[in-house]
Amino acid sequence: MTDTPRTLAEELRTRTDSGLAGLLRARPDLLSPVPGDVTQLATRAGTRASVARAVERLDRFALQAAEALAVAPDPCPYAALDSLMCGDAGDPAVAAELPRAVATLRAQALVWGPDERLRLVRTARELLTPSATHPSPTGLGPTVAEATAGMSPGRLQEILAAAELPATHDPVTAVAALTSLFSDRPRMARLLDTAPAESVAVLDKLLWGPAYGGVTDRPAAHLQWLLDRGLLLPAGGRNVVLPREAALHLRAGRAHHTPEPLPPKLAPATERDPHLVDNAAASAAFTALATVEELLKEWDLGGPSVLRAGGLSVRDLKRTATALDTTEQLAAFWLELAYGAGLIASDGEADERYAATPAAEEWLQLPDHERWAVLAAAWLPATRTPGVVGAADAKGRTLAALGPNVDRSPAPEVRRRTLALLAALPPGTSVPSAAVLARLQWERPLRGAAHTGAAAAKPEEGAAAPVEVDLRTRLAQWTLNEAELLGVTGRGALATHGRALLGSEPEDDAPAPVPTPAEATAAAGRAAALLAPLLPEPLDHVLLQADLTAVAPGPLHRPLAEALGVLADVESKGGATVYRFTPASVRRALDAGRSAAELQEFLAAHSRTPVPQPLSYLVDDVARKHGRLRVGAAAAYLRCDDDALLSEILADRRAVALRLRRLAPTVLAAQTAPDQLLEGLRAMGYAPAAESATGDVLIARSDTYRTPPRTAPVPVPEGPPAPDATLLTAAVRAIRAGDLAATAERKPVHAAPSPAPGGLPRTTSAETLATMQAAVLTSSALWIGYVNADGAASQRVIAPVRVEGGFVTAYDHTADEVRTYPLHRITGVAELADESAS
Amino acid sequence: MNGPLIVQSDKTLLLEVDHELADACRRAIAPFAELERAPEHIHTYRVTPLGLWNARAAGHDAEQVVDALVQFSRYPVPHALLVDIAETMSRYGRLTLVKHPTHGLMLTTTDRPVLEEILRSKKVQPLVGARIDRDSVAVHPSERGQIKQTLLKLGWPAEDLAGYVDGEAHPIELREDGWALRPYQQQAVEGFWHGGSGVVVLPCGAGKTLVGAGAMAEAKATTLILVTNTVSARQWKHELVKRTSLSADEIGEYSGTRKEIRPVTIATYQVLTTKRKGVYPHLELFDSRDWGLIVYDEVHLLPAPVFKFTADLQARRRLGLTATLVREDGRESDVFSLIGPKRFDAPWKEIEAQGYIAPADCVEVRVNLTESERLTYAMAETEEKYRYCATTASKQYVTEALVRRHQGEQTLVIGQYIDQLDELGEHLDAPVIKGETTNAQREKLFDAFREGEISVLVVSKVANFSIDLPEATVAIQVSGTFGSRQEEAQRLGRVLRPKADGHEARFYSVVARDTIDQDFAAHRQRFLAEQGYAYRIVDSDELLATEEEW
Repeated sequence: MTDTPRTLAEELRTRTDSGLAGLLRARPDLLSPVPGDVTQLATRAGTRASVARAVERLDRFALQAAEALAVAPDPCPYAALDSLMCGDAGDPAVAAELPRAVATLRAQALVWGPDERLRLVRTARELLTPSATHPSPTGLGPTVAEATAGMSPGRLQEILAAAELPATHDPVTAVAALTSLFSDRPRMARLLDTAPAESVAVLDKLLWGPAYGGVTDRPAAHLQWLLDRGLLLPAGGRNVVLPREAALHLRAGRAHHTPEPLPPKLAPATERDPHLVDNAAASAAFTALATVEELLKEWDLGGPSVLRAGGLSVRDLKRTATALDTTEQLAAFWLELAYGAGLIASDGEADERYAATPAAEEWLQLPDHERWAVLAAAWLPATRTPGVVGAADAKGRTLAALGPNVDRSPAPEVRRRTLALLAALPPGTSVPSAAVLARLQWERPLRGAAHTGAAAAKPEEGAAAPVEVDLRTRLAQWTLNEAELLGVTGRGALATHGRALLGSEPEDDAPAPVPTPAEATAAAGRAAALLAPLLPEPLDHVLLQADLTAVAPGPLHRPLAEALGVLADVESKGGATVYRFTPASVRRALDAGRSAAELQEFLAAHSRTPVPQPLSYLVDDVARKHGRLRVGAAAAYLRCDDDALLSEILADRRAVALRLRRLAPTVLAAQTAPDQLLEGLRAMGYAPAAESATGDVLIARSDTYRTPPRTAPVPVPEGPPAPDATLLTAAVRAIRAGDLAATAERKPVHAAPSPAPGGLPRTTSAETLATMQAAVLTSSALWIGYVNADGAASQRVIAPVRVEGGFVTAYDHTADEVRTYPLHRITGVAELADESAS
Repeated sequence: MNGPLIVQSDKTLLLEVDHELADACRRAIAPFAELERAPEHIHTYRVTPLGLWNARAAGHDAEQVVDALVQFSRYPVPHALLVDIAETMSRYGRLTLVKHPTHGLMLTTTDRPVLEEILRSKKVQPLVGARIDRDSVAVHPSERGQIKQTLLKLGWPAEDLAGYVDGEAHPIELREDGWALRPYQQQAVEGFWHGGSGVVVLPCGAGKTLVGAGAMAEAKATTLILVTNTVSARQWKHELVKRTSLSADEIGEYSGTRKEIRPVTIATYQVLTTKRKGVYPHLELFDSRDWGLIVYDEVHLLPAPVFKFTADLQARRRLGLTATLVREDGRESDVFSLIGPKRFDAPWKEIEAQGYIAPADCVEVRVNLTESERLTYAMAETEEKYRYCATTASKQYVTEALVRRHQGEQTLVIGQYIDQLDELGEHLDAPVIKGETTNAQREKLFDAFREGEISVLVVSKVANFSIDLPEATVAIQVSGTFGSRQEEAQRLGRVLRPKADGHEARFYSVVARDTIDQDFAAHRQRFLAEQGYAYRIVDSDELLATEEEW
């Protein structure tokens, strides 16, 4: 083994065990399956998918360093990288951080080799190297050598001459001469000093990328000046490119417009009293509980139906939002929260609907803080993201709440990281969400997202243009919003219980280990315990007022709230609940089986003040009327002006089976059908008469029963109606004509030269059909070209048996069995020569 | 944290009145929150953009509002609400109407994008003139009201600092011999004068006329007073002659019958809004003198055309007087932009507590209809139902019994249907005042009632507004304009004037049980209860069975 490793594998072999472990931790995809040896590990670490993954997980500065390496010669001495990053002038902040970035890249096995020969893994280089279609984030174009590849030697010499360089004997030296001119700061400066002002302006435009521009066939003088000297090189078509060396000279050696060596600060921080934050968060937590509870109550008797594709229809979402008095987007959040916590689910019946689960029943019985723990523990690791609900997926279908395709796998990681950033601040401190988002962006710029090209690095442009926001940022923004709604944060700062929910504090910048479910539950429990004293104590009383309202100045004990919810309508919610008593609401309570006295007692017991007279009057007044009218079902009735006779029947034991009940002195109700009642009474020796709905006596002719007017059924003939003579004549003429046509056609087919050997026969579909039908009649075999469902063409010899409905059923000589072919897949048909048909 | 205030999610504030900090809290939130309901234990206030802008106009800032909420709230106030309040309040005053010495009236802004935004609105464009500089634009003086209305609708209410014309001077003094403005009236006058223009909200019977007189004494200029009807106009005149240095000759009445224009002119809404051949012939009244002050009585009843005229009078001081800012037609925002922000208000109960309004005992008497009446009611056409149940004989009977019970007390019987009133008048042997009664006759009867020569007066809804019957101690309402809460407030106001003997006023509503009458009554009573008047419901049978008064 030499001192300087020659390959990544060799370098990896020299690493310590912990170094390798670090690599595997950082790039867990290398572990599955576990590589057999270091060579295999190195190979796998060099695969495109794995490298792309690793690159996407780099922080912005490490990424910038990698990008700089990609535009630097390979291998690249550390000093060269340093000057690319810091520029000619130098930048102490960047220089100080660069070793860390290189170390990161090394640890990830994206860079290897000693400092004097840093090598970017080839795949990473390919990923990051600029090309016309995939411009580098640095905004640098190709090198002179790359851009002049394929240029005629004569042209090269012209450029040299224009740049006042001595002619060389071959293209390679010419390129080298040009490269060294562009890379030589003093000489280059002298060259540019002679440039016309417009030319300099053009260079300034291309300076920070994109390095490409277009020219006409007859470029203007100032462009021609640049083209002559190779400061713009052709890049295919009318495009020209500013070569990398020239751009670097103009940029004073810097690969990046704004190197960002340090993560953006979480600022400006607003410090609040941690108690205030905790209280605000607790209040939000309480609201969250109330909202989920309301959702469960709303769906108590069964929720909306499940769409066939899964999820909730837009209309049902709207309805739920209205019921929860919130927006659809927030309703989607509450729905997904309850769904994630297992409180609601689809019932799985044939006619699928959503409903509360048995777990919801248990959840409702828990004390407030434990209920919150259930929600928070479900929220933290969830991959379902309500934020995308309502957006369209790749196929343009709207994503439904509770539906499929709303899982976003980075969500838990982003959520944890976002909260961890908040946790890193002192208690009670909040920062604007933009600061958190900027920090997250820096940590994982996610190449190709919002940060395409150097343009986005310029702050002004980045802020002005409504850039399509990448998923990670959106996830983080949702996390911040949702954490506020759920009461994990209060007024933007992480609450004490929110901190506990995250579990053990992550060590500085190391990625937080994802806790096991058990750990997560324990953390949620600890958080809940911290939250418990902050939640408002449930009350056991309300204030009753003469305007027929009751005000609960805080949350009520559940039984009280439920009873009051039946007796009165909720009018306003929030810290307190305002209930209004109406005749309808009091009637609802009476319908639910409460008596007026019970209601009065209930009101008196739970009111801190005397029950107002109008309210107790209302209860009594509704109760007075309640149930005065009675409704029941009877199958038949029995009436008689002589109430003694009815009493007699009622007393008769044989009448028990008729289940009679006295409604009034002269009316009995029966639970048996009128005919049975008549039978029964007759059997008892009475002579009852049936009565119509209007009270007339029905004449008892028992078995005449008629349908309403009906028309007789029309006979359904087996086939189509028999054709008349005219139709028949016409049909026969048509058939003859067709037949003639078919036979007339057949001859030319015969006469036509057979298709080229191996080629498919081609005939028009009319010919194909006619030939097939003729072949059925003559039982002859045909040669067909056939294209199967996968588009594969074949030639077959078949003997058609039947042609109908667009299909031909035939004995396939090629396959030696009877098969059916769709006619439209038959490219053509030809009759076989007589000898091959036999 | 155990404050008296609870902030609800629908932006209502619940104030627990028995809490020790309730008074302090009320004072802190009153500038920006409108009292909506004031039953016995918990008062409900509502935070609306208009309320917040009223507060801004009165010199409060968002910080004070947020502080008040956070300081008194029992539970943490939702952050979103605080943000919303700050945002809404910051909208007021970004645009101001000022008078420039050379450019005249102009709209200026402290926030250029806002000006750009509103100038892009099609509704604003015809109202403004040339752009003066980047922050201001000229406004046609005639569009001063229009532009304020439009800007309010766009959510950027403009502060009107363009000042007022003094108008033609005319000496007016209050003649405080043996009486004085009550403290709250004094505050109301000061609040108005300081603000320049605006609305003073005082309950019925709290002496709004005197606030008007006080304002006139401040202005010392010719004054146009707009009132609801002729009776009210006479009362204003009577009161002004009595309380100020003005003589009867200096006060003109501009009504259907008389068309006098004097230094102080009292006009009715009706005559102003009379339209002949598509024009309002009496509009010139506004220009007939160089008025220094315009007083709008009962602003909540201001007819829509008057708003239009008012829009052209923005250079004159305007005083609105009302018992409530709630308008059944929802044009509160026009009151805000055209007459001005609320300058003073004092809730009913507070003034009652100070002894300036008589406490009232409200009783709903439920009358059982006879069987045949119930049958007829059940068969009546829908549109006839109310009329029928409101005028049943059973109710007549109970009403008469009530009048007899209060024999010797000054009693008003108020109703909606003339034949019912006529019949009652006949049975009770009492005069009836209705639409066809001449003004002279009305005043004669009112005087007789005041003097105690007549103790029972039957009145139709013509008496709903602005008649002053100081000695009515009992009011019996037999039928009303369906469920109008406005009417209920006015009728209750009839008996709320302080009584000489401190006797408690009694307000009866006679209602037919289990009919639509009862539903309407419930609606009206909810209003009473929300105003803090506890009421009782009594069965007529029980009431008549008990011999003595309870």
